[in-house]
Amino acid sequence: MEGVFDYAPAIALFPLVAFVVVLAFGTYLPKKGALPGIIATGGSLLLSLVMAAAVASGEAYHETLYEWAAGDATSATGVEGVSFTFGLLIDPLAALMLVIVSLVAFLVHVFSLGYMNAEGETGLPRYYAGLGLFTFSMLAFVVADNLLMAFIFFELVGLCSFLLIGFWFRTKSAPSAAKKAFLVTRFGDYFFLIGVVAIAATFGTVAFAGDDSFVTAAETAIDGGDQLFGFDAQTWVTITGLLVLGGVIGKSAQFPLHTWLPDAMEGPTTVSALIHAATMVAAGVYLVARMFGYYALSPTTLAIIAFVGGFTALFAATMGVVKDDIKQVLAYSTISQYGYMMLGLGVGGYVAGVFHLMNHAFFKALLFLGAGAVIVIMHHEQDMWKMGGLKDKAPVTYYTFLAGALALAGIIPFSGFWSKDEILYDALIVGLEEPVIMAAYAMGLLAVFFTGFYTFRMVFLTFHGEPRSEVAEDPHPVGWSIKAPLLVLGVLAVVAGIANLAPVAKLAGVDITFLEHWLDGEYGAIEGLTYTAYGELLAYETSYIGSEQVTVLVAAGLSLLLAFSGAGLAWLLYNKPEPVAHTERLGSAGKVIEDNYYQDEYQVWLAEGLTLPLARAADRFDQTVIDGIVDGTSTASLFGSDRIRRLQTGIVTNYAALIVTGVIVLLLVLGFLGGWF
Amino acid sequence: MEPIQLPEWTALGPALLLAATAIALFVVDSISPRSTNRNVLAGIATTGSLAALGVAVWFSMAGVGATGVDGFGVIELFDGQFVVDQLALYFMIIVAVVTALVVVASYDYMAGHTYQAEYYSLVLLAATGMATMAAANSLVTIFIALELASLPSYALVSILKDNRGSVEAGLKYFLVGALSSAIFLYGISLVYGATGYLQLGNIASVIEAGDAAAYDGLLGLGILFLIGGIAFKTASVPFHFWAPEAYEGAPAPISAFLSSASKAAGFVIAFRVFTEAFPLEATAGVIGIDWTVAFVALAIVTMTVGNFAAATQDNVKRMLAYSSIGHAGYALIGLAGLSADGGELVMGAAMMHLLVYGFMNTGAFLFVALAEHWGVGRTFEDYNGLGRRAPVACFALAIFMFSLAGIPPLGGFWSKYFLFSSALEAGLLVVAAALVINSALSLYYYSRLVKAVWIEDPVLERDALTQPTGLYAAIVVAAVMTVVLLPGFGPVVDTALEAAAAIV
Amino acid sequence: MTVAIEYYVLLSMGLFCIGLFGVLTRRNALMFLMSVELLLNAANINLIAFAFYHGNLTGQVFALFAMALAAAEVAVGLGIILVLYRNFRDVDVTVPTTMRW
Repeated sequence: MEGVFDYAPAIALFPLVAFVVVLAFGTYLPKKGALPGIIATGGSLLLSLVMAAAVASGEAYHETLYEWAAGDATSATGVEGVSFTFGLLIDPLAALMLVIVSLVAFLVHVFSLGYMNAEGETGLPRYYAGLGLFTFSMLAFVVADNLLMAFIFFELVGLCSFLLIGFWFRTKSAPSAAKKAFLVTRFGDYFFLIGVVAIAATFGTVAFAGDDSFVTAAETAIDGGDQLFGFDAQTWVTITGLLVLGGVIGKSAQFPLHTWLPDAMEGPTTVSALIHAATMVAAGVYLVARMFGYYALSPTTLAIIAFVGGFTALFAATMGVVKDDIKQVLAYSTISQYGYMMLGLGVGGYVAGVFHLMNHAFFKALLFLGAGAVIVIMHHEQDMWKMGGLKDKAPVTYYTFLAGALALAGIIPFSGFWSKDEILYDALIVGLEEPVIMAAYAMGLLAVFFTGFYTFRMVFLTFHGEPRSEVAEDPHPVGWSIKAPLLVLGVLAVVAGIANLAPVAKLAGVDITFLEHWLDGEYGAIEGLTYTAYGELLAYETSYIGSEQVTVLVAAGLSLLLAFSGAGLAWLLYNKPEPVAHTERLGSAGKVIEDNYYQDEYQVWLAEGLTLPLARAADRFDQTVIDGIVDGTSTASLFGSDRIRRLQTGIVTNYAALIVTGVIVLLLVLGFLGGWF
Repeated sequence: MEPIQLPEWTALGPALLLAATAIALFVVDSISPRSTNRNVLAGIATTGSLAALGVAVWFSMAGVGATGVDGFGVIELFDGQFVVDQLALYFMIIVAVVTALVVVASYDYMAGHTYQAEYYSLVLLAATGMATMAAANSLVTIFIALELASLPSYALVSILKDNRGSVEAGLKYFLVGALSSAIFLYGISLVYGATGYLQLGNIASVIEAGDAAAYDGLLGLGILFLIGGIAFKTASVPFHFWAPEAYEGAPAPISAFLSSASKAAGFVIAFRVFTEAFPLEATAGVIGIDWTVAFVALAIVTMTVGNFAAATQDNVKRMLAYSSIGHAGYALIGLAGLSADGGELVMGAAMMHLLVYGFMNTGAFLFVALAEHWGVGRTFEDYNGLGRRAPVACFALAIFMFSLAGIPPLGGFWSKYFLFSSALEAGLLVVAAALVINSALSLYYYSRLVKAVWIEDPVLERDALTQPTGLYAAIVVAAVMTVVLLPGFGPVVDTALEAAAAIV
Repeated sequence: MTVAIEYYVLLSMGLFCIGLFGVLTRRNALMFLMSVELLLNAANINLIAFAFYHGNLTGQVFALFAMALAAAEVAVGLGIILVLYRNFRDVDVTVPTTMRW
């Protein structure tokens, strides 16, 4: 399979072509541009599978395709010259992500036929062009072989997200949600950019892999005990790592930059499924996994990642409990789940984090698409209190949604259980040594309860009980283009866990941790980018409660117990023909949660109460001092101009006199300097 | 290596072709004295100037005067009175380009004028003088070539005999010119007195041998007076006083001709005289002072005076005249920076600027010619709203203005950028700062003109404007060259730097 | 007996200063022109004297050229002064000031 990697650029380029085609001819095409998108993403999916097969056969690909800028600056570590390139890096991680992204993109394109086209939306070419551009950017981000290229496409997916959230730009809320998403993520990306610059300036390279990668350079610098910009190398790696993490926190909607994601639900549900659940939001986590070697060098950064992840997992899960809008519940659950992934990566559970990333992509896309189906069925009603009883009227939607919900809640044996359990297990064994991680673990564990609760609250309110509105009694039928993607993802949500049955492997001693082997480079891999290589860099100590098996059982048992109790509580409260809201029982805490812990309020205060006065002051300074200087200069210049032109009297004799004077002055000055007299 | 070996004197081909064209025009004029057959006259003049341009480009490409492996080496003629090297050819190209543009544009501008043949032959004679200046290698030939360029120019400026402005301009130009050339000649006589030679190389060897050491005052004064003569030709302070009036009063194509070609010719003798005849260190040893100091001062004062005076002009042509003085100041940096290590870079940058300037400034003046042809008036207000009536020409004007101001990505930006960076490299911080400040100021008045033609509403409604072929053609060619000189900037840069490096 | 070179230089400088004085004070265009001629001839004296002093003929030959050029210059100048008179009814060089500043 030597030559297949030559076709790798096409994975990203297919959707780009679709974007161009749809943009140019979308209005004239049948289905308003859906077909080019489906064909392109289908092509990307096939090629991605080929790439994955190639990696499985023991290959990997790392190639620089184009150098677009080069400079001769010397970096802090003494590397001469820095060049910025576009290149491809296809290793097990990238290949896996390629398959996930292109699969979800393909399914979402198909789903859009039923969700957008069949519902008679206008502006569809714009929608499909946006999807195409997004898919291109996301795939290019996944295969990026250096940090700057990753940053470029990281920004581009942000732009597409902005465009697609604001798809219904005539409404009031969508444009403002789009702006919010753009600004909040941009706030994080700002740190990311500084981080890129800092890394380039420090190590003279931004490559992810190879001998001249910044990861290797950082390792050398730490081993050599170098001083970088006045810090010792370890501290500097932490600082730059945290700067890059700023972008991750914005994009993956981690606390405190998570506020944009619930608002982003203003976009079409398909967009929410693709961008704000399965792929773009995953970009942040993927980036951490991509440069995991770098983070592994800095225990401080890892601990911060783990803690932020654990906190976000719990924090978002509590907010999901009180939401009435089906998409809002899913949005908070997304934030919460990405918190788990961060927790997993932060405790060194590289495989666990990536495993959950994959599972979550499938079951969350499924849930969003299921929610989309429900919304179609409900004639665009999103309030769960107006639903109910859809179980019998839309069985395909119900059972697939249920599969996704079970996976999300972490019920054995659905896929979400395996990956979440592995994360919590990894956190536990590290946490027994490190109190900070223990705290993160505790929060993650507690979040399992809330996850189970809000998930089944959602399921019961939506599908069970009696119909609570007229539309719920008379649902809108859905077509195959909605059902087919649901079925595909439903199957995946059930079975994807097989990829890495770590607890079973540990308990039964069978070798069935396929994903771990995959990421550990037992097939194809790039040197240094494997689980084992990362493990060597990690500074974590681990210990067990009793033996390994006991620890596995304790961890799994605890999380299952909490998941079941959460689900059970939801069953008790809401699985009735006529459920009622129980929010008021929470008292003042409920109010705080309903208002999302006043996160939006304090951010608005930061903007209006702090930034705005500062901006006003700066503006005043600019208007008076700066403009004053500028205007003064201009007035002085014009005045000077008026004086100087008066030299030109129009009388030729004066000119002669001035010429002679000029020569004499020059003569005197030069003669004096030269000593002629 | 060439299949045909041309005789050596053909190296002066471009200048000779220009002279031959002038003579051909005389012949035509003497056959039918009152002829105003513009097609024949302008045709001959255009053909001649384009032929000169072609030959100059051909020679330059073929390596005539180049000292490299595949060059023919520097060609010296008449015992070294003339020298044809890369520098000479480079400036011959500038002169020929400007001449061709001006001649083409004059086809329409001079319509209905009585002195057609005289006009064209004077233009070509002046061009011959300028081209000869590029190759002159002795103070004798330099002076004669300079006069050959100047005398027809005086007549050309005042060729509109019934126009008071034209006559006044001619008078002032002539009087200041006569004074300057007298000073220049006196300078030559002093240098001759100090060294005993008029040929540049010989002067240098006398100075280097230290034989002129006894005449430090004489030599210093002579050099100062030479600077004066050159400053007149390049319209630099304090010999710039003729320029605003001459450019304003003269027929606009002649203003273009004088401010581009004549200025370039002034710079070529400056470059040659000061690099060939007065080697820096040896001369400094005699006169006790580095002569670049004078050019540093002149450059700063010239660009400042030119730009500041231009800023508040109401008359477009006069604004361009002052801006032309400002650009002379920029080009003077080429001489000011010679004392430093990267001297040839600075001079190469100045040469690039002169070439780009040859297009953009000529184009700008030709636009004024077009406006005069239309009879729309002379002030900024009169130009208001021309963009709607003549979009092509006004677009070209915008290109010229932004290029003159040094806005990327136009040619003027690059040449100024090279000037700036090489001046910094040569350590001329003050000069570089003055360049930036003056460029910033210049943007003010250049953009004022663009604003007038494109944004302001016309004061009066005007009828449709004619589209004279010749003027339009010249303007469009100049505009295109201003833009495309950028992609072709690589070769231009190389040629200029090589030419500069060869003589520094 | 030869006259020392210094005297020639002094003579030429004197002539030059007289010419300069004329240029600066005379308002009549013709007088202006004549003063310029004085300047040129001051240079010529220098050239010839230095030719004698240095013992080469370059200066003398150049002086001949310079005279011819001066004549040509006067011819052009007179032409301009003629049109000046036609347009302004005066040969005062300070009169034409339609263009200034």
